[in-house]
Amino acid sequence: MQWRIVRLALLCLWAGRLGQAQEFKIYDRTVQVHGFASQGFVYTSGNNWLTMNSNAGSGAMTDMGLNLTSQFSDKLRVGGQVYDRNLGQLGQWHPSLDWALADYRFKNWLGVRGGKVKTTLGLYNDSQDLSFARVFALLPQGIYPTDLRDATIAHTGGGDLYGNIALQHEAGEIAYTAYAGRRSDSIYSGYPYLLQDWQVFFRSFQGWQYGGDLRWTTPVNGLTIGASRMNQSITGKGTFVCLFDPGAGLVPIERTTKTSWTNMFYGEYMVRRLRIDAEYRRDFFDIPYVPGVDLQTNIHAWYIAGSYRIGKRVQVGSYYSHYVTQNTGGAALAAIIGSTDPSLPWNHVYDKVISGHVDLNRFSYVKVEGHFMNGYGWATYPNGFYLQQNPQGFQTNTNALVVKTGFHF
Amino acid sequence: MKASTRWLITAAFAVCGALSARAAEVKIIANQSVTTDSISASELKSVFLLQRRALQDGPIVVPVVQKSGATQESFLSEYMDRNAEEIRTYYYGLVFTGKGLMPKEFPSDAEVVAYVARTRGAIGYVSSAASSKGVKILAVLRHEQDRRLMKRIEPEYPETLKKLQIGGTVRLKLTISPKGDVEAVIVLGGNPILGEAAAKAAQQWVYGAAAQRSTVEVSVPFESAP
Repeated sequence: MQWRIVRLALLCLWAGRLGQAQEFKIYDRTVQVHGFASQGFVYTSGNNWLTMNSNAGSGAMTDMGLNLTSQFSDKLRVGGQVYDRNLGQLGQWHPSLDWALADYRFKNWLGVRGGKVKTTLGLYNDSQDLSFARVFALLPQGIYPTDLRDATIAHTGGGDLYGNIALQHEAGEIAYTAYAGRRSDSIYSGYPYLLQDWQVFFRSFQGWQYGGDLRWTTPVNGLTIGASRMNQSITGKGTFVCLFDPGAGLVPIERTTKTSWTNMFYGEYMVRRLRIDAEYRRDFFDIPYVPGVDLQTNIHAWYIAGSYRIGKRVQVGSYYSHYVTQNTGGAALAAIIGSTDPSLPWNHVYDKVISGHVDLNRFSYVKVEGHFMNGYGWATYPNGFYLQQNPQGFQTNTNALVVKTGFHF
Repeated sequence: MKASTRWLITAAFAVCGALSARAAEVKIIANQSVTTDSISASELKSVFLLQRRALQDGPIVVPVVQKSGATQESFLSEYMDRNAEEIRTYYYGLVFTGKGLMPKEFPSDAEVVAYVARTRGAIGYVSSAASSKGVKILAVLRHEQDRRLMKRIEPEYPETLKKLQIGGTVRLKLTISPKGDVEAVIVLGGNPILGEAAAKAAQQWVYGAAAQRSTVEVSVPFESAP
C-alpha cells in the first residue's frame, strides 16, 4: 500500500510533463480522452479525521478519473467517466461509473442530459473532485463533506433539463438546471459507514432525488449569484441492533426518509486575480428509527472563501467554514443524542483554513493546507469525525496539515 | 523611387500610424458559414464559456482557442475577464463533469485561421495583424444599443500603401440614423490614409433599424501581408 501511494505521488508530480489531451477517431468521430489523479497526505493533532488514522499521518487519500467524450453532431454529445478513490475507510479502491450521459442541446435555452448525470448543487458539488481547479485541497467540509460525496454527486436513471437565457436590457444571463434521478450510495461511502457505529448495517441505500439550480450572471462584472434545491426520498435496507432492544441482536431493517431536503444559496465574485465566494446550506432530514420515533437532523452550514493569484503559477487562499448540526429524536432518543446546544463541540465544526497552491506546469500541481478546527460535529450525521477512528472519545480541537499533488490531462 | 526615399516614406507612414493608432490587439474571425457580421460581447463570452452553441441569429458556432501567447492573453482580458490559467481550469471543469468538451486549440494565428476557414461554424480570435484569408471578421458589439451591421462594403486598399506593404487597423466612430444609414464617420485612430479609405466605405454601410439615432465604434483591418 505504501509503495502504491509513493508511486502514485511520483506519477502525479511527473506525469504532468507528459500530459496532453489525447484524441482518436471511431467511424470518423473524434473522441477526446481526459483523466486526472491526485494523492494527498494528512496529518492531524487532536482527532483522527475523514476515516483516516491521521494522527499518525496518512496517505490514504487518492482519487482518479478517466473519461471519453465525443461530439456526435452539432447538438449531440455522448460520454462517460470512471472514478475510483480511497479515502481512509471509504471508497476502498472500488471503481464506479462517475457519469455517463447523452447531452442534446436543442437551443441555447433548452438542453437535455440523460443517463447518469453529475448533480448541479451549489457552486462546486459537481466539480468537488477536481482539486486542480481551485486553490484549496479540501472544499469547506460543512458544505461539501468529502466523506458524503456519494450522497449528492450524481443522479442516475434520469436527467437534466438545462439552458441559458440572456436577459434584456443588459441585465446579464440566467442559467437553469432541473433534474431528477436516483441516488445510489456506495456501501463504501460515509453515511453507511457512520451508521455502522449506530449498529445499523445497510446493504443498500438509495432512492429518488430531484431539484433544480438557478444562477444569475449579473451585470456586475464577475458577480454570479444563485440558489439550489434538492429533495430526496431514500430507502435503506439491511440489518440493525435496535438500541431499545439490544438483546434481540441483528434484525432486518428497512427505513425510508419521511422528509429530506437541501437548500443552498451562493455568490461568487471574480475580479482580476481575486476570487471570493460564499455559500449557505440548510439540510433537513426526518428518518423513522423505530415506529413512532423519528430522528430529525437540522444542519446549517456556511462558508466564506477568498483566493488570490500572486503569480502565474502560485495562488493563496483562505476560508472559514461554519457547520452546526442539531439532532432531535423526541424523549426516546434524547439521552442517546445528548444536548442540541450548537455551542457544544459535538454539534458543530468551525474550520479556519489557509492554503497555498503551485502549478508545476499546465498539468500538475502541489498544494499545502492548514486546518484549525473547533468541534467535531459527531452526532447522527457525519462531518469528517467518526467514532470508529476515535474510540477513546473526541477532543474539542483538531489541527490538520494537508499536502496534495495531482495531475490532469 | 530611391531606396532611401522609400524608407523615409515607410517610416513616416509607420510613425504616423503608431502615433494615431490604438489598434485593437485581437480580431474575431469566423467561418464563412456564420451568417452574421457582428456578435455582441456577451454572446462572444457565452460562446467561449461553452454556455451557448448558437448565435442569436441561429447558426451553430464552435469556438477555437489559442494555446498560449499575447493574443490569447489580450482576448481573455478584453472579452472573458479571466486569465489563461483560469480559462483552462474552467474548461477542464466542464470536461470532467460531463458538461462540455475541450475546445480545439492551436499554437499560432495561422493555424487558427486555417482551421476556422475549413470548419463549418468555427469562431476564433487572432491578432489584428494576422491574415484573415478565407475567413470573415466579426465586429464585436459592446452594448445592447449597438446596431447590427446588415450591409458591409469593403474599403479599397490605397495602391501605394499596398505596394509598400503598409497596413494596420483603423478605428472609426459611426453615427447611424434610426433607419440604419451611416450619417457621419469620424476616424478615431490608425493610418490617416487608410482611415480615409475606411471612412469612404463605411459611409455606404447599412445597419438594422432602431428607435433612435446611435453611434458605434468599429475596427477596420488592412492586411499588408502579400
